[in-house]
Amino acid sequence: MGKAAKLPKHNRFCAIKAASWFFTSLAFVAVTAGLILLLVESIPVWRHSGLEFITGRNWFYRAREFGALPMIYGSLQVAVIAILIAAPIAVGAAIFGTEFLSGRLRIGLKIVIELLAGIPSVIYGLLGILLLRNWVYDSMESLDILSGDTLLTAGILLAVMILPTIMTLADDALQSVPRAQRMAARSLGLTATETAINISLRGAFPGLIAAVLLAMGRALGETIAVFLVVGRQDNQLPESLFSFQPLVESGQTLTSKLGGSETNIAYGEPLHWGAMLGLGILLMIMVTALTFAGLGLQNLARRKNET
Amino acid sequence: MPNFPLSVFRICTLTAILLSSSCSDNSNRRPGPDSGLPLKINGSTTVNPPVAEAAEILRSREGLQIQVDTQGGSSGGISTLGEGLVQLGMASRAIRAEDRAKFPDCDFREIRIGEDAVALIVSRDVWESGVTSISKSEMKGIYEGSITNWNQLGGEDRKIAFFNKEPGRGTWEVFANWAYGDHHKSPQVSFPEVGGNEETRNKVSTTRGAISQLSSSWADNESVFALGIETETDETVFPTGANIVSRAYPMSRPLHLLTNGDPVGSAKVMIDFILGEEGQQLVRKHGYLALADLEE
Amino acid sequence: MKRKFFDLLFRTATCLCVVFSCAVLLAIIGFIVKQGSSAVSRAFLTGEITGAGASGGIFYNLVGTGILLATTFLVSAPTALSIALLHGVYLRNYRHREKITILLYILNGIPGILFGIVGLVVFVQWFGWGKSWLAGGILLGFMILPTVSVTLIERIASIPRKYIEAAAGLGLRQSEIVRSVILPQSAGGLATGLLLGLARAAGETAPIMFTATIFAGATIPNGIRENPVLSLPYHIFILAQDSYSPEVNSRLWAAALVLVILVFAMSIVALPARLKIHEEADHG
Repeated sequence: MGKAAKLPKHNRFCAIKAASWFFTSLAFVAVTAGLILLLVESIPVWRHSGLEFITGRNWFYRAREFGALPMIYGSLQVAVIAILIAAPIAVGAAIFGTEFLSGRLRIGLKIVIELLAGIPSVIYGLLGILLLRNWVYDSMESLDILSGDTLLTAGILLAVMILPTIMTLADDALQSVPRAQRMAARSLGLTATETAINISLRGAFPGLIAAVLLAMGRALGETIAVFLVVGRQDNQLPESLFSFQPLVESGQTLTSKLGGSETNIAYGEPLHWGAMLGLGILLMIMVTALTFAGLGLQNLARRKNET
Repeated sequence: MPNFPLSVFRICTLTAILLSSSCSDNSNRRPGPDSGLPLKINGSTTVNPPVAEAAEILRSREGLQIQVDTQGGSSGGISTLGEGLVQLGMASRAIRAEDRAKFPDCDFREIRIGEDAVALIVSRDVWESGVTSISKSEMKGIYEGSITNWNQLGGEDRKIAFFNKEPGRGTWEVFANWAYGDHHKSPQVSFPEVGGNEETRNKVSTTRGAISQLSSSWADNESVFALGIETETDETVFPTGANIVSRAYPMSRPLHLLTNGDPVGSAKVMIDFILGEEGQQLVRKHGYLALADLEE
Repeated sequence: MKRKFFDLLFRTATCLCVVFSCAVLLAIIGFIVKQGSSAVSRAFLTGEITGAGASGGIFYNLVGTGILLATTFLVSAPTALSIALLHGVYLRNYRHREKITILLYILNGIPGILFGIVGLVVFVQWFGWGKSWLAGGILLGFMILPTVSVTLIERIASIPRKYIEAAAGLGLRQSEIVRSVILPQSAGGLATGLLLGLARAAGETAPIMFTATIFAGATIPNGIRENPVLSLPYHIFILAQDSYSPEVNSRLWAAALVLVILVFAMSIVALPARLKIHEEADHG
């Protein structure tokens, strides 16, 4: 976006310019103030628990024990499941769209993506309660599953929700690989597949990773749909990160906690409220870190393809 | 961009003035019940159905503006009333001293509109495997994690899937008071949590080996089944109307509307309506016991 | 031979990914239509909630969502336009422009629930608004700001340079060029961005559940303070957890169907312009 047209300069007062500055600054100040508010109101819990707030394994608010680790784990776990399911499908579809489809069909695919992205999360939640949790429950029966409300259920639901996000961004990344490179590869006798893998995928690789990271940020922040199917069980931290069993148990994510009844209970009680806002800050940090990593990679990809 | 810092400064100042002016305007943010503002009601999802329907009737008949919400369950109703955000709270449990202590400025009044009980409900497979009643110590065993399989309670070999009502719900507190004498003494546990009544019923009915606490009027004995409670004298009492009236069933509870001081204006109209013949019929319609039923 | 086989395999695999995505969309839409279409009627759209969701309709939920969206529109349109003009016209330093883009992306990443929680403190408590439609509109407006701004920024960046050069050649001043070239040329971008943003805002529950919307009883607000609205997504969210009778079920799906139609309508109207921007960017 660095190619905006240069306009002649002038220094007289201009209403549109002043209004632009005003609204932009207002928005900036409001968002900054909101973030500062989160920080300030969470101070009690940092005083009370310090870093234990992040590393603590127990959250019992009536005993004034606030440890967010199981929720951090829950959030990451559902996001990772979602990525593992959605990324291959979304990238595959994006490749098919850019490499093998043309014209009308490509636009058709874009429409599908756009519509899929438009379905509100509360609808996904509804589908999750009535269809997906029963499906997970029945198909995982052999794993001694206790109920259909599991991290896996939330992960699958999120996978569908972030599918269009990854597809759109992956599509952009693949498109930005110069056409000339593909032509050259084809004229050297490579098949379409070999071109796609060696040229497009390789060229777009940082952009694809960026797509995955940005989508993961979205998955971490999703509330309503996750809330309805994750089970909302506190203090679920597995012994081993590499076993499958914890995935088919209920869990709690940062967002499902924030969307639940505790937000109403905590309100007006500085320490408990601070702990809830502390969860918000952890969520914010995780999402922003992913956004930055994604943007960095996108820039890298852009530079790579420009040179 | 030489004027960037300056304009930002100006805008910050302006915003600060705007913010402070709207904050200082807070003096009259608690509308009196008769100030012409809509009547606001918030609280228990259990009390909600008859009250919401009463509100619909009053709205069409008397043209009253009544807003009903169910945020945070009974505790939400108490705290929003305490903070002056609503004029009527709904609670499916009694007000406690600590609620009064938390909101010293609020003169909580309880108006009983009906009676209900907390049932321990199980899924069909549990019921059909022969577990139709439970004792307090057995329930405590499940709650504390020492009983984890239905075969420990005479059922078939299946893990117990216990869904706990989320904190703040009247249902949970009535349950914990029954099991532990005082819900503050209940142990800290972590189970999957359920919120609303339909969510509870839906999740229990679709999960084999499931048990949870639920308002007895929602326990339809078709999709979910209410267990009898085994008393110390080896009797089994089910949460039937008669047992709730006679207090034989231990987890009965009042359904309350709460006010701050004497009800006035549209809050009074609402209370009078729900205590009247028509309102009490609504209470019955939603499966609860009306006040007249209790006197029998 | 082996290469050809692999080529075929790869094509099939990626094609299956596309088929799967389309199938998911069709399945979701099909399911919602099947469950909900029987209960959608004129009376459903024009009636008030009765029987706590078991009967009546969703008229004031539609009205409430409409009010929220109109406010969202009023909040985000001027702000997004301002940001895009600063980015595309008034800021000359590449690094300052980059900063705006980064801030927009960060804002875009902030989860809806955090908007709700900050809104609860600021609007409900500090401002003493209680639950208010205005709080919801402002929060949603900020939430969709990145979507609208970025679409608009792309649009402004794609205005052919010759237009601006021609205008400058005619001796027009900067403010005149903004008014006579840039604003008209980017109006389509603003409309597209707003439609996309509003489509997203229409379905959001998390930012408004603590700040703007209640389950029943609100009609048309007559002030700011203590004036909540009903809304479609919150209606669905509450009924999904608390419906006491089976009649609620079909009405719940009907409400879901109406919400999906609303969102799709906005996305589809925005679509041609959106695809065009992308195509132009591809060839530019």
